[in-house]
Amino acid sequence: MPIVVEKLNYAYMQGSAITKAALTDISLRIEDGEFLGLIGHTGSGKSTFVQQLNGLLQPNSGTVHVDEFDMADKKQRMEGRKLVGMVFQYPEYQLFEESVEKDVAFGVKNMGIGEEEALERAHEAMALVGLAPEKFAAKSPFELSGGEKRRAALAGIIAMKPKYLVLDEPMAGLDPLGRKAILDTIDNLRASLGCAVLMVSHSMDDMADRAERIAVMNGGRLVMEGKTRDVFAQSELLTSIGLDVPQASRLGMELRKRGIDIPENIYEIEEMELALLKLLSKGGRA
Amino acid sequence: MCVIRTGKEGETGLIEIQNVSYAYEDAAAKALNNVSLTINDGEFVAVVGHNGSGKSTLAKHLNALLLPTEGKVLVDGMDTADETDTLSIRQRVGMVFQNPDNQLVTTIVEEDVAFGPENIGVPGNEIRTRVDRALAAVGMEKYAHSAPNMLSGGQKQRIAIAGMLAMQPKVLVLDEATAMLDPKGRRDIIDLVTKLHKENGITVVMITQYMEEAIGADRVAVMSGGELILEGTPKEVFSQDELLHKHRLDVPVMQQLANRLNARGANLPKCILSVEEMAQAICLSLSKN
Repeated sequence: MPIVVEKLNYAYMQGSAITKAALTDISLRIEDGEFLGLIGHTGSGKSTFVQQLNGLLQPNSGTVHVDEFDMADKKQRMEGRKLVGMVFQYPEYQLFEESVEKDVAFGVKNMGIGEEEALERAHEAMALVGLAPEKFAAKSPFELSGGEKRRAALAGIIAMKPKYLVLDEPMAGLDPLGRKAILDTIDNLRASLGCAVLMVSHSMDDMADRAERIAVMNGGRLVMEGKTRDVFAQSELLTSIGLDVPQASRLGMELRKRGIDIPENIYEIEEMELALLKLLSKGGRA
Repeated sequence: MCVIRTGKEGETGLIEIQNVSYAYEDAAAKALNNVSLTINDGEFVAVVGHNGSGKSTLAKHLNALLLPTEGKVLVDGMDTADETDTLSIRQRVGMVFQNPDNQLVTTIVEEDVAFGPENIGVPGNEIRTRVDRALAAVGMEKYAHSAPNMLSGGQKQRIAIAGMLAMQPKVLVLDEATAMLDPKGRRDIIDLVTKLHKENGITVVMITQYMEEAIGADRVAVMSGGELILEGTPKEVFSQDELLHKHRLDVPVMQQLANRLNARGANLPKCILSVEEMAQAICLSLSKN
């Protein structure tokens, strides 16, 4: 069963004089096991939206269902919330325990799971994110590098075995290799746990590389949704609302502006390479 | 070590980093190992490197926030190790850091910009002029009376830069100042710094892990494992893709594409850094055929 959001409306400070619509009429499904990217510039409502998915915020109207659980109902919300793992920006700032294993086990224990099983799950999760338990379990979280800390924070969520993993800018502030390591970890988690991923990111090249579907938010509305290829085929439109597009798409736009015929739906650099080779060799024969 | 020197021998730079090594307390390895680099007056130098490469440690040496364990750093001829010069050095070299939330100290934007000059005893009427000019230079005049916590990350960084400009520094050091911003905030800061460099002639040292941000610099210095491994113009540096890969660094995506196309028989220039350059090169290549 998927997460189903229907006709969701939400305003901060509802009913007060300074009420401000943050989300307007949003309907979106997050299917089992899929990798959905969520893009939009700062202030477009992305973060407000993802907080609705585990009941941190509740809609003023419309519904959010996580599998069979209606997130408007307090009891059902507690059950639905267990299925949704949320990793916020800079999660490493939230590490606080004396050892990595205790930190990773913290959320699991909060779910009412006993010490022994919690530690077992913590070790499993650490292995999944690439922090070998035999090396890292007893270390202080504060001895880890930036990238390792982030993976420890991710492991804390994984240990709770969520069915849906929601990640808000999980690569922010990491260097290119650190970014790739986190993206590979996410792929690895999907493959081994079968969880669905909703990733918020500004990095369009990373989105082009990993997401199967993309949803675009602007001004609190969902303005576009579709397969990654179909969304980035609208690069001119995305650019017009102030968003970046993958570099291959940008090159396509620049070439079309100069009268060169490059299909609009090319968004991956490998594809662009093939298209350009064809074009350049065709030119040679003419 | 592969170094392409562009500075002339014997010339004295605005900042001279001479054989600097630095070890953090209790650390097994040196964070900087025998680094020498000259920053000339009016230059725009980008320092790139992966996390932990030593680039931020190097930046903190430029205004005496850190002092070398070995070697020395001269700013306008003053040794950063000499405490009597620390204040003069910090007036010449302004730093903007990564986290926009950690740098603003007051509750009103213009007070924040005035904070530095007040601290060094600039007279009141001159502070007013400096604050107005600095806010205008970063395009934030409208926000003079706003509260910093109501601003976006990019706007906060612009205020942090204004605070530095009010000190009338010769050098602006940006220590990953765009790392926590969204793409628009990043572009705004890069455009602003480029403008300050071009129009006001301020010397810029930009520490970054985004290769694309280094494309517009006069010179790029590459750090890895605490050492300066490469130095030259962006074109010279980014054409060394094998060396960069070896040190866990990416070359800009368009350069990668150019390399791959050329390897498969295309006849594009060896160095292509930006999307616009690539589009032009392809047009040219097609029209030649």
